[in-house]
Amino acid sequence: MNSINTDSLACERQAFADLAKDFSAKKLAELREEHDRYPFGELFTDAIRDAGIIGLYGINLPVDYGGVGMNAAMVAVIVEKLSEVDASMAGIVFANAAALEIIGEGAAAKNSGDIYTSTDRFGTAPLAFQSFAAPNESDMPDADAGGSLTGTAAYLTLGNIADFAVVPARNSGKQGFSYYLADLKNRNVRISKPVVSLGLHSCPSVDVTFEGIPARLIGMQGEGDRYFNAMRDRMSICAAAMSVGLMKGSFKEALEYAADRYQGGRQIIDWGQVRMMLANMAVLARTGESCLANACRELDDTAPGWEQTATAAAIHLGELANRATTDGVQLLGGNGYMKDYGQEQRMRDARQVQSLLGNALFRKMDFIGHIIGENR
Amino acid sequence: MKPLRIGRKEKLHLLEQGPKIWEAFNGLECQHRLAKSTHKDVKKAIAIARKFNNEVIRPIYLEMDLKCMEDHDYLAWDFLKKAGEWGLFSLFIPKIFGGSGLNFLGMYPFIEEIASVCSGLGHIIFVHYLGLATLFPSFNSKILNKVLRDVPKSEKKGEPHLLDLVITEPDAGTDVQEPLLLDRGRIGTIAKKVDGGYVINGRKIFISNGHFSYWHIVMCSEDKKNPAETFIQCVIPNGSKGFSFGTREKKMGHLASTASELLFEDCFVPNDWMSIVCQSPDMINSKKGIRWTVHSMIDYVVSSSRAGVGAIGTGIARGAYEAAMSYARKKNVGGELLVNQQWAQIILTDMYRNVNMGRAIYMESAYTDMLQGLFKLLAKKPIHYFLTLMPKWYFSLISPLLSLKLVTRLFRKYYYDWYTDEERDASSGWASIAKYTCTDIGVANANLALDLMGADGLRHDHGAEKCYRDVKLTQIYESTNQVNQMNLFCCLVGNHMPEVEFFK
Repeated sequence: MNSINTDSLACERQAFADLAKDFSAKKLAELREEHDRYPFGELFTDAIRDAGIIGLYGINLPVDYGGVGMNAAMVAVIVEKLSEVDASMAGIVFANAAALEIIGEGAAAKNSGDIYTSTDRFGTAPLAFQSFAAPNESDMPDADAGGSLTGTAAYLTLGNIADFAVVPARNSGKQGFSYYLADLKNRNVRISKPVVSLGLHSCPSVDVTFEGIPARLIGMQGEGDRYFNAMRDRMSICAAAMSVGLMKGSFKEALEYAADRYQGGRQIIDWGQVRMMLANMAVLARTGESCLANACRELDDTAPGWEQTATAAAIHLGELANRATTDGVQLLGGNGYMKDYGQEQRMRDARQVQSLLGNALFRKMDFIGHIIGENR
Repeated sequence: MKPLRIGRKEKLHLLEQGPKIWEAFNGLECQHRLAKSTHKDVKKAIAIARKFNNEVIRPIYLEMDLKCMEDHDYLAWDFLKKAGEWGLFSLFIPKIFGGSGLNFLGMYPFIEEIASVCSGLGHIIFVHYLGLATLFPSFNSKILNKVLRDVPKSEKKGEPHLLDLVITEPDAGTDVQEPLLLDRGRIGTIAKKVDGGYVINGRKIFISNGHFSYWHIVMCSEDKKNPAETFIQCVIPNGSKGFSFGTREKKMGHLASTASELLFEDCFVPNDWMSIVCQSPDMINSKKGIRWTVHSMIDYVVSSSRAGVGAIGTGIARGAYEAAMSYARKKNVGGELLVNQQWAQIILTDMYRNVNMGRAIYMESAYTDMLQGLFKLLAKKPIHYFLTLMPKWYFSLISPLLSLKLVTRLFRKYYYDWYTDEERDASSGWASIAKYTCTDIGVANANLALDLMGADGLRHDHGAEKCYRDVKLTQIYESTNQVNQMNLFCCLVGNHMPEVEFFK
């Protein structure tokens, strides 16, 4: 991340970036193609476990409960680095961090950290969360007065590998919805096969049906929408970071390939048109870095309107990454379309990342809605 | 002064100013130059494709895609046989070569229809016609007669013998498909003359339908330092000594079709299967020279095939549009159907516009091919009526005549010696317009569908993500869109400017 390096968190930021880079090189890079075969191949459970051991699931967990106590901007540093190599692991870190943000909102509303004592899995194993849709975009289960959940949570990310999920549920006879912490190991939870999806194959999503399972209310009843919006504002930074990581990874591979491949009697990097496409990719990646760094800075400083900056960055960088990674495939020609190289995966992953935190078009409409609301 | 009164000479002068009629109005020209019955063939081709979609492709295509994702070794032989039962591999083969003889103009909308449901399965059919379009420009009537007559026969036996185009090499992709780059390429597949034929050594990759095909139309050269002037096209059937199948690529999309590696190790090809040998006396002595002939031959192939890729891109664009529309009509957002959100209507309208724009463009390219490209002889009214009205048995009776060298010579005289730069530029240029515009449209619509459908669009069972994976290939093969842009510049943009240099 082309971020400020003079603030008080510069050292921590660098340390986390190095940690994620090292983890990517050791645990993700070599078997990237094999990992991408999931659900038709093995899931990289070792890497998922090891990510917990090195603390990637506790970055935004309070220090008192075993976490690092950093904000979403620090999670962004990690997911950006991971996404350069394999965005699936970043998707796992993202889903867990988003769930922790919701829990954090609830704990703050109740002014109590009791929720953190309900399991010792926080920070060591990832939580499941509906990363790809806002609650109003998909079906959600119902919760009765005693907190029992019945119904389906569609496209629940990590639902088949996590022990616990943070899920929204409607409270019968009341307005709005609430978030609950649900035990996915309960025998009355039915989990579908992994949904075959466009991208982030090793960050699986499933449809989960609850048949009257007890769940713990997070925060206050009926406040789910508020918690979700607060989470979305912060986690937009992380979605933007994943887009930047994908752009950088795609550009790096395209540049290396163009210097190596000969057509028309010379390296393709010497063809003007190829060079122009590379230049466009470089501009997109650099712009993305800059945009992300600014959004992170505003979040760290809680600058007025940081939420809008974060939302706009996520939407815009999602679009840029889609464009850049598509060109990244194009620059490798036929090889770019093949799984031997990383480009086609990045193109699919970038498209999947565009849907993080909900449909980008709906987010745009919400965005302008907020602006209009404020101006009124 | 009466401006509407224009004399004949003045009119001709004005029309010559450009864009010229031959350059930009081929659809219009076709209205009076094509036989009236042509449009019936086009409608019939569309109807057949729709019926095949409904009865064969739609019920299996998503499951087939998953199957191929799960098992890389799976090959859709059952589908191939089913398409053969329907006679789809001989549908557009002219009656003179034993086929059903549906007009080639109908092939492009046929392709769009099939691709609108599944271009992966569709490829098994489309690529066969690419092989056919590769063999045709050899105008070697003896070989054409042997190979093409085998297709309907093999269909009837339940084991269809498909054709493929074997050209791409590990170090030469664009180079071997672009005539002006051929001599600069690192060509690795070499044919050496021996008694009674040639021995071929080399490796070809990314061969669409390779594992499915029986007749392999192979392009190579005798001299890697002078590939254009020693260019060779030959036909290698399965089972030939020294020929074998290699690996199959793991692709992002188009999973039901294959991209194969073909290996040639001292593969002997008898003279009877050499469809073009540039160093043969008749080619050396050709009126416009070997280089011009090879350039024209490659352009005949790519002009017809790139229009087809345009139809595939348009078909996928339509598939994405139909998936998005179907979704928008069911999805409720904030108490209102998505299709009733004004911004969603605009996106759907753009998608609809894109599909129609693509269709207009690939059809213009197809019209140009009818008048100035590979199909121009078949489009001549007397030839058209002769081929349409005479019964199949008549052509079986006269087919031995096609083995006469004279017939090949006449074909080549017409297609090479009498071919003009203007004709070649128009068909090649329009094919590039169709190829890169329609495939860009396809990618745009696949993106718009995913935009509209959000997380639901990412799921395989909704079909839109498959469009996204499939359509990307169309921007790459048949030369990348960027090479097609350069080709268009050569053919129709900078072709009349003496100071302009190409592929610099």
